[in-house]
Amino acid sequence: MSSDLAVSIAVSAIAYGTPLVLAGLGELLAERSGVLNLGVEGMMLMGAVTAFFASQMLPGPGWAVLVMALAAAAAAGAAMALIHAFLSITVRVNQIVSGLALTIFAGTIGLSSYAGQVWGIGGQHGLHQLSRLDVLGLSDVPVVGPILFNQDAMVYLSWGLVALVSYYLYRTRFGLYLRAVGESPRSADAMGINVSAYRYVHTVVGGALAGIGGAYFTLAIAPIWTDGLTAGAGWIAIALVIFAFWRPDLLLVGAYLFGALSSLGFTLQANGVQLPSELFSSLPYVMTVVVLAVASTTLARRRIGTPAALGVPYVREEG
Amino acid sequence: MDIRADGLTAASAEAAATGSPPAVAAVGVTKRFAGGVVANDRVSFEARRGEVHALLGENGAGKTTLCNILTGMYRPDEGEVRVDGKPIRLHSPHEAQAAGIFMVHQHLSLVDSLTVAENIVLGWSRQGGLGFSSRTVEAEIDEIASRYQMAVDPRARIWQLSLGERQRVDILKALYRGASILILDEPTTVLTPSEIEQLFSSVREMVAGGRTVIFISHKLPEVFAIANRTTILRRGRSMSTLEIGETDARQLARLMVGHEMALDVPRRASTEAAAPAAEPRPVLELDAVSVQGDFGTQALREVSLTVRAGEVLGIAGVSGNGQRELAEVIAGLRPATGGAIRVDGEKLVSGDARDAIRRGVAYIPEDRMGTGVSPNLSVAENLILKSYRHDSPHAGPVLLMRQAEAQATALMARFDIRAPGPRTLVRQLSGGNVQKVVLARELSSDPRLVVAASPTRGLDVGATEYVRSVLLDAARRGAGVLLISEDLDEIIELSNRIAVLYGGRVVGVMDSADATYEHLGMLMAGAAS
Amino acid sequence: MISIERSLVTPRWQRIALPIASLAIAAILAGIVLAASGHDPLATYQQIYEASFTSTGALTATFIYATPLLFTGLCVALAFRMRVWNIGGEGQLYMGAVGAAGVGLALGGWPQPLLIAMMMVGGAVAGTLWAMIPGLLRAYLHTNEILTSLMLNYVAGLLMYYLIYDSASFWRDTTSASALVFPQGKYLLPAADWPGIVIGSFTLPFGFAAGIVLAVLLLALIRFTRFGFEMRVMGDSPAAATYAGMSTRRKIVTVMALSGGLAGLGGASQIGDFGHVLDPRGLQQAGYGYTGIVVAALALYNPLAVVIVSILIGALTNAGFALQGPLFPIGLVGTMEGIILFSVLGGEFLGRYRIRFGRAPAPAIAADEESGIP
Repeated sequence: MSSDLAVSIAVSAIAYGTPLVLAGLGELLAERSGVLNLGVEGMMLMGAVTAFFASQMLPGPGWAVLVMALAAAAAAGAAMALIHAFLSITVRVNQIVSGLALTIFAGTIGLSSYAGQVWGIGGQHGLHQLSRLDVLGLSDVPVVGPILFNQDAMVYLSWGLVALVSYYLYRTRFGLYLRAVGESPRSADAMGINVSAYRYVHTVVGGALAGIGGAYFTLAIAPIWTDGLTAGAGWIAIALVIFAFWRPDLLLVGAYLFGALSSLGFTLQANGVQLPSELFSSLPYVMTVVVLAVASTTLARRRIGTPAALGVPYVREEG
Repeated sequence: MDIRADGLTAASAEAAATGSPPAVAAVGVTKRFAGGVVANDRVSFEARRGEVHALLGENGAGKTTLCNILTGMYRPDEGEVRVDGKPIRLHSPHEAQAAGIFMVHQHLSLVDSLTVAENIVLGWSRQGGLGFSSRTVEAEIDEIASRYQMAVDPRARIWQLSLGERQRVDILKALYRGASILILDEPTTVLTPSEIEQLFSSVREMVAGGRTVIFISHKLPEVFAIANRTTILRRGRSMSTLEIGETDARQLARLMVGHEMALDVPRRASTEAAAPAAEPRPVLELDAVSVQGDFGTQALREVSLTVRAGEVLGIAGVSGNGQRELAEVIAGLRPATGGAIRVDGEKLVSGDARDAIRRGVAYIPEDRMGTGVSPNLSVAENLILKSYRHDSPHAGPVLLMRQAEAQATALMARFDIRAPGPRTLVRQLSGGNVQKVVLARELSSDPRLVVAASPTRGLDVGATEYVRSVLLDAARRGAGVLLISEDLDEIIELSNRIAVLYGGRVVGVMDSADATYEHLGMLMAGAAS
Repeated sequence: MISIERSLVTPRWQRIALPIASLAIAAILAGIVLAASGHDPLATYQQIYEASFTSTGALTATFIYATPLLFTGLCVALAFRMRVWNIGGEGQLYMGAVGAAGVGLALGGWPQPLLIAMMMVGGAVAGTLWAMIPGLLRAYLHTNEILTSLMLNYVAGLLMYYLIYDSASFWRDTTSASALVFPQGKYLLPAADWPGIVIGSFTLPFGFAAGIVLAVLLLALIRFTRFGFEMRVMGDSPAAATYAGMSTRRKIVTVMALSGGLAGLGGASQIGDFGHVLDPRGLQQAGYGYTGIVVAALALYNPLAVVIVSILIGALTNAGFALQGPLFPIGLVGTMEGIILFSVLGGEFLGRYRIRFGRAPAPAIAADEESGIP
């Protein structure tokens, strides 16, 4: 495979993967606290539509509008997540049902579509778009140039966030407490950690990140808004978090891998290799199932790190 | 809070030096719970600096309640807690910890997938601020660990550690946070003999530095090995505080279980029960049965027992010595790792509950609500919980509740279950009635063997009486009854013979008529006779 | 004297009043959303009612949307009751569609009753097999079935995609004129059309009728059989089930198998009742499997209630698409559905409390109320 081909696969993988990284980081944080949020698709769509609307309506220089649009997207995602958080944590309903309710509520034929209609932004051409930057003037460097130094601001943001979340999880006190909350809420509670608060905060922050991930669609990928624009990216992000075993570094790799795999199939076919692209695309999911199965047989379960309390409401026993 | 290198606060170290008021004291503490239970009745207790003080007593004596008060979990209804002679009001464990009082519980609350260091700083760290540098924490832990001979790798993950090592982590956590008064709740239950030795030398180091260690136990050999003084609690009252050097096992056992003379306790079993049938084979035979506990410990070690038809064999002992595992292995809920269990001479399939049920083993579990019944199902449904499989009205795949409900009504009358009807959900019933449902189900099938674990715990007087009479009735009708109870009175009252479990072994078997409280107390406390 | 207190038992009247009250609250909240964006709530509700039930062809269209939800709803109602969290209904439905389409295409010449029966079998078996993967993994390896069944949804979707859009498979139409322009599946012969039941001006899909029968059978299974009894005990208290000697593993696999079979039948119905062709894009966009979870939850996992709720949600969806236009944004459908869901779910919170009139003795035991179905 020529290096040009490799570079183009890499670049498209990054474009495909960036919203996944952002939304995935959000879901990772929520799940690490023990809350499964299946409403990611809905939150991303809300972020996308809100960001587009904001970018159309707000005055000011381009970069300022974009920043404010991202903030609006984050707020929209966070608001959605708050509903799920309340139902899951305080009311203690089944998290699967609550998350799906959110996807239906905000999804393709839900609030995001409704908002798009009410705001009248369907069919409009986006006024502001993120453009590719030329970092340090190195975008012309062969191979690495286009990949590393010629991306838009949100790609760099996503890389920064991966580093930040990694640092947060493994090197700060609060990240440690978060991990305890997801693993063993009872022990965390006994240590004086407020389990509910951690779950609320991380679920809502997760929603904000999902909103920002959704915004990438309308602010970078294509300057339009249509119903269901994200086309299932939210669902892929959920799968991605599991595939990455709740680790931010693997999340980044996985997001780009998913992207590369989906375009790999096509490129191979174009080069005469007759393997279906769906085979490649399904590999990550199949692999995840296999690893999950193997991991649960041995005590490796603990090493792999499914947050043990994922999906289980926490009730403190009255003493 | 300023913590010195050796883990003590400046204040407590100073107090230790001057040898002044007791480190911690409870003065006239009374604690009542719902239902009229008086867990602590004007208990007075004090522990000095630099001493190991053993808190002795059976289950229900009030030891854990007292310590929960000292650590701020409960508030006393009367009386007060004093630290260094000054009265202090503790509203939460955090306040107790701020005063230097820490408790290491029997059930450790560690997070398996995190490292030792991470668990120790969970919730509180000596370094303030956002980040936490593992290296600093690890160095601090190494220092404390080596000083008190509690070697553990700070980078190891909890799931990799043995139970003894995990306990060390819990103790290190307390020391790291500046514990000057450390309460250990039955710490040796999960330890091997060499680990027990290790623990004791660590404890000696700790008190040498001026700390106070309160050691909750029911095991006399250990108390004599490690403690300086001991306070005995019985039924919520503090009986006496003695210097270890000035007492012996017999006196302590007597103080623990109380009755000097056993003559005034009615021995119903011997008077009411028919003589155990002269059958060729016992109903139940345990032949060198060994069972593993939940955390890899050895819960039962080569236990051999027999129960004859018509006989009540009482298993005495402080809980945690293998009683639960004994009940479960007989009921087929836990596999045996060695030995054989025979009912009517034929081996039971190990770990197979269906086989046990089929062979006529009835089991009245300790946790009636969580295991013995399905709370959101009706009384009738719970009554057929085991019999639905093979009883004649329920032939084939179809289950006809009408017949089950009719039978349930009859059973409810026979066993005095007070409920609006057979369709009432079990969780709406009072504790006594739930137990009656369990009894009705288990005993109506005319079992060969009845295993009853703490059958009257938490029940009112009327229900307790009823349960006991029903069990005796079962024996009279030819079943063998294995009664496991922490209530010594109950054991003595109901049993024909008594066996004592200690450390997973049977340490004594005797006819009930020959049993004295003192003797039983000593066996239960590990003081071999 | 009226007092409100934490309750272990929900009195019967409250159990019915609560969902109704929740729906009323939902109607009010949705009304606020409508009003806030310039729509007249009452008029809108009127329109929805007409478009779902009364106007010409409305009822038939409602049932077209309701039928798949009936199957996926039953699929989840069965599984969730036993605390087997099967969220793979989506993929199991896809596989059912693949199976039924394959059978229908292969056995095209068979007499109609037999052909339809075989299609149903094909769909159910495909769904069952797909569900048994997470089922076996959970039963024998204790693998989390939420995660595995979810992953398999993606795989099933990709498989469907492959069969129609990316291969020359048996399912794909490679000859007809339109197929040369854009990939599509082979249409089944008219003999494979499932016969709708005509009642006046309304046609009840054969699949829905079959679904009603299945719902009744399911209820009978749960209430009147030994298997159902064991299921209920396991769903209520796994510890009590073990104590009573019930074998958990086989039951988990069986429940997953039945659950997957139901979703698979839903896929078969999509082929036999409606599209008569394997349409991956349409199925993926519809998301019947995921919506089924919500239907089951609203129905409190009761099979007969699933029948009702599937009709209601089907009605709402139908109305949305029928009325879609500048005056009636399609987004209202999801928004209202979401509001209904949130209200009902949130209302359950209030159901934990009880209003008591006068004085009556309360049960003395504090049971674990989390032991019930979420």
